Order: sequence, then C-alpha cells, then structure tokens
Amino acid sequence: MAQAALTIDGLSVDFEGFKAVNGVSMVIEEGELRVLLGANGAGKTTLMDLITGKTRSTSGRVFLHDTDITNWEEHKIARAGLGRKFQIPSVFKELTVRRNLEVASCKNPGVFANLGFGFGASAKQNVDEVLELIGLADEAHRIAAYLSHGQTQWLELGLLITQNPKIILLDEPTAGMTQAETHKTSLIVNNLRGRHTIIVVEHDMAFVREIAERITVLHLGQVLAEGNVAEIETNPRVREAYLGSKGIS
Amino acid sequence: MSAKRRIEWAVYALFVVAIMIAPLIMEPFWLNRVAKYLVYGMLGVAVALSWGYAGILNLGQGLFFGAGAYMLAMSLKLASPTSLQQGSDRPVPDFMLWNAEPGAPTELCCINKASFLWLPFQNQWFGTAIGLILPVATAAVLDTILFRKRISGVFVSIITLALVLLVRLVVIDAQPVTNGFNGLTDLGWFKVLGLEFDPYIVPTYYLVAVSLSLVLVGARLLVDTRAGIILQAVRDDQNRARYLGFDVPAYQTFFFCVSAAIAGFAGMLYVVVSEFASPTFMDLTFSITMVVWAAVGGRSSILGACIGAILINTISATVSETEGFAEAWKAIIGLIFVLVVLYLPRGLGGLAHDLVDRIVTRKPASRELRVSDPSSQLAE
Repeated sequence: MAQAALTIDGLSVDFEGFKAVNGVSMVIEEGELRVLLGANGAGKTTLMDLITGKTRSTSGRVFLHDTDITNWEEHKIARAGLGRKFQIPSVFKELTVRRNLEVASCKNPGVFANLGFGFGASAKQNVDEVLELIGLADEAHRIAAYLSHGQTQWLELGLLITQNPKIILLDEPTAGMTQAETHKTSLIVNNLRGRHTIIVVEHDMAFVREIAERITVLHLGQVLAEGNVAEIETNPRVREAYLGSKGIS
Repeated sequence: MSAKRRIEWAVYALFVVAIMIAPLIMEPFWLNRVAKYLVYGMLGVAVALSWGYAGILNLGQGLFFGAGAYMLAMSLKLASPTSLQQGSDRPVPDFMLWNAEPGAPTELCCINKASFLWLPFQNQWFGTAIGLILPVATAAVLDTILFRKRISGVFVSIITLALVLLVRLVVIDAQPVTNGFNGLTDLGWFKVLGLEFDPYIVPTYYLVAVSLSLVLVGARLLVDTRAGIILQAVRDDQNRARYLGFDVPAYQTFFFCVSAAIAGFAGMLYVVVSEFASPTFMDLTFSITMVVWAAVGGRSSILGACIGAILINTISATVSETEGFAEAWKAIIGLIFVLVVLYLPRGLGGLAHDLVDRIVTRKPASRELRVSDPSSQLAE
C-alpha cells in the first residue's frame, strides 16, 4: 500500500450551529486521483476551504504527509505543497499568459528575496513546457483578460502545474466548458496523474468517467460512500441521496 | 529588451533631459514654480505605486507628505535667523514665545510642556532622517494592521482618509508646538556642505530635478523586479496569489511603505522650495487632488502619473492667471478630469502605451478582434 499523501481526520466546521462539514475522515494516497461527488450543499467546497486554510475548522485535523497543517495560513499551506484551483477561474488578468506562469514559478515567497530581476533560465524552460501542456503556447504574450473562458481555466491549471505542489485540489475544473473543452481538460488532468496527488470536485459525469479511479460521495457534510465508479453507481444509498433512481447518466 | 521597452526607456530619458535643461530657458520665478510641480510629480509616482500597482486607493497620501514636510520644517525653523533673535543663546521658534505663559523660561526644553520635542531638530539631519522614517514607520504599522486584517479596497480608502483628517486636527490643535493653522513659516535654508539652498537659485531646482529623476527610475525599476510583478499579480487576484504561496500582506505593506517614503521625501523637498509647512498639506482636497493627477496621467504608469501632476498644475497656473478664466479655472480642471475619466480611463499613460503598441505591432485594434473569439461567449 502506498503512503498517505493527505489524511483528513474527523474534520468539522460549525457555522453558528450549522455543520457544513461534519466529521469527515478520508485518506488519499500518494499519486492517487480522487473525485469528490455530492449534491449542492453537500459540503464539497467547504471541505476544500478547510483543507486549504481558507476557513478555520472547529475540530478535526488535516495532515500533509506527516505534517499537521490544520488551520495554517493559506500561503503556508500552499508552500507546504498543496495547490488549489478555484471554481470561478482565477488568474492574474492584467498580466500576460507568460507572466502569469512566471509568477507561479517563483520559488521564493519573500518580498526582499524578490527584489531582483527576471525569473531565471530554469523557470523559463518550465514555463515553456507548461505552455505546451495546456495548449497556450501561441497565446503566451496575450493579456490574460482577453482569453476565452476555457483558456482561462487551462491557464489556471497551468499555474498549478508550474507551482508544482505535491497535492492538487481542483474545484469543478470543467464548469462552463463545451464538450470539446471538457475533453481537453480531462487530457490535461490525466497527464498530471502519477506526478501529483489530485483531488477533483466535479458534477460532470462524462468528465468523471474519463478521469476517475476512486470516488468519495459527500452528503450533508458527511462521507456517504467511497469506491470506484461501478461501486458508486450501484450503491443504493448514493442512488437515493444524490443520483436519483435513474443512476449516473 | 523588447522594442516596446526600449521606447519606454527612451521616453523616460527624454523626460529627464527635459527637466534637466529647463533652467537654461526659464527665469528664476518660473524655475521655483516648476520645482514645486516636480515635487507634485513625485507625489504622482507615490500614488501610482499604491493605487496603480498595488491596486489600493490611499486617500491619505497627504499624511505622509505632511509628516515629511513638518519634520524638515521643524529643523529649518530652528535654522531661521529669527529663531536666534528670541533672547536665548540657542534657537527658539518665535511663535512659541508669543504663545508662552507669562514668565515661562525661554529655553526650548521648557517653554511649554511639549516644546522639548523640538530639541533634536536643532540638527538639520535629524529632521531630514525623521522626515523619511516617520512616514515609513507610520505606513508600516498602519498597513500591517489593515492588510493582515484583510481590510479591502474602499475601506482602506475610508480609513486612510479619516486618519489624515484626524492628524490634521491634532496638528492644528497642538498650537503651542505646531503653530496650528498658521503652520511653520519664516524658515531657514537647507544647507549641505556650506551650500545654502535658496529656493530661487538653480542648484535648488537641480536638487528637486535630480531627486525626481532618481525616484522615477527607481520606482520604474522596482515594479519590474520579481516583487513588483508579484505585487501586480496580488492586485489582480489576491486569493490566487495567496494559494500560490505568497504572503500577500507583506507585499502590500512593503510597497505602501515605499510609496509613503516617496511622499515623505516629496514633502521635505516641498518645504525646501516653498519655505513653509502647513496643515493644508493634510487637507482632504489635497489628498484627493493627488488622485486626480494620477488618474489624468495614468495610474498604472509611473511616468504618466508624474507627468499628469506636472501638466495639471501647469495648466491650472496658466489658466488661473489668464484674465478671462480667473474665475472659471477650477471648472476647466474639473472638465479635463471628467473628459479623461470618460474617454481615457487609463489616462495619458494608457493612451501612450496603446500608441506604442500600434507602432510596434502595426496591427491596429487587434485586441478587439481577438476578444470576439467564439469560445469567449461561454464566459457567462
């Protein structure tokens, strides 16, 4: 059995009496690709917020490998090796595509360490590779604000790939994409498999089928079921709670 | 270096040469005026850094300008000949004695309860140093609190605005040590190695012109460093930058401190060329006027904001002294502001950047064409 990359142990948050996430535990192994499923309000995004430090948990712990990162500040968790893609694509809109990736390639977070010019030759090579991977090499000198929605999503994925964290959290990476764009996104995500541990929150079942190994289903802030696509599709509790009687279609 | 970058540096060089040769064609009266406008140009640089590059509108920039101005003015007040003629062996500001209680000692230590604060200012270099240190320290404390607490956008503007007005009130109220409404007047001259900077001589103009050139080039280089680029990334999307591992408040605070240092430095130079410091530096209108300069010149362009400040002040001086416009000049400045905001939202600097883009790429309006990419309609 592989080593655990991310361990979540009894994580809960209490918003003045409402438990958006209630005692969630799961172990994600090194190199695994895990999909988080759940209806609206099941606590998927809140769980991401708790893991990445955006929201402070009220109980439970989060471990990145052996490091306890519970309730650290966001940038420290990011530096510890956890990257996140937001549901609403977030890139640096007034910078060029290349500049966006250069910022992500910056290895030293301090202000004073960055009072020099240029990001270095290794960063340039890294950025060139990522531009190829996300298919934006021809757009490298465009201002990010002028990219299409799909391209913006890919650029944000590119930021994560450049940042090169051990664990990548993707919050609905195909939201608002056409079928062709969704397919291209699944190619990019599949390309990352093995090199990173990946957790994906997703609604689009076509996309889930293209990428999923293991699925964890959340319901009302708790883990409802865990298994591969076939197991989840046939699990009666999941069908009842989320998929309806028709199953995954 | 790209063609665009080369053109940009050429424009900077042109500007520096222009302000360096100005004394050859100008009489001393205008030279002193232009020196003041160059100081305003430096304030434009400070606003461009905080508003254009950090993306946070500081409506209290006058606080740092005022702090720098008062600190140096206190030293220069003590250097004034009248301060030596107050019946004491050591210099004493005249206004302090006018307001002193009958029978009070005439020594700086104990004229009134707070007059001892003036003691270290007997050394001109103390005033000069504290004129930089005080704005930076204030900015560091204030902005660390604001940005760590993640107070955003308009609330920072409101807090900084309130703060500058508060300090203005305190300065007016502390009349025994600050001379209140009247401010500090009748100042001595700034001295370096025996050279006295009389505001109407050419070396004083060059003190300002060289300072501005250094600040301009320094600020332009600073926003080109990795830290400067990361700051712009923070401006565009704070959360994204945070999740890439950057300590966002540290970047914002650092650049606000640089901006405060430039404003404080400008305040000191202003005192040298105008020979007074007054609470009007901390008026609401002055801090807002700085923002207007930067908006007209282009807040995301260091040189643009600087030229905007110089241009507007030159225009207002010229217009307000033209007989027909003597009453209407404020309306004319207001009209220019409205037109720029409506038709040139990125200011003159933005216009210049677009023009250079066209010359370099020779593909006019290519940006608008690219935006109509069919997949972009998915954005909503």
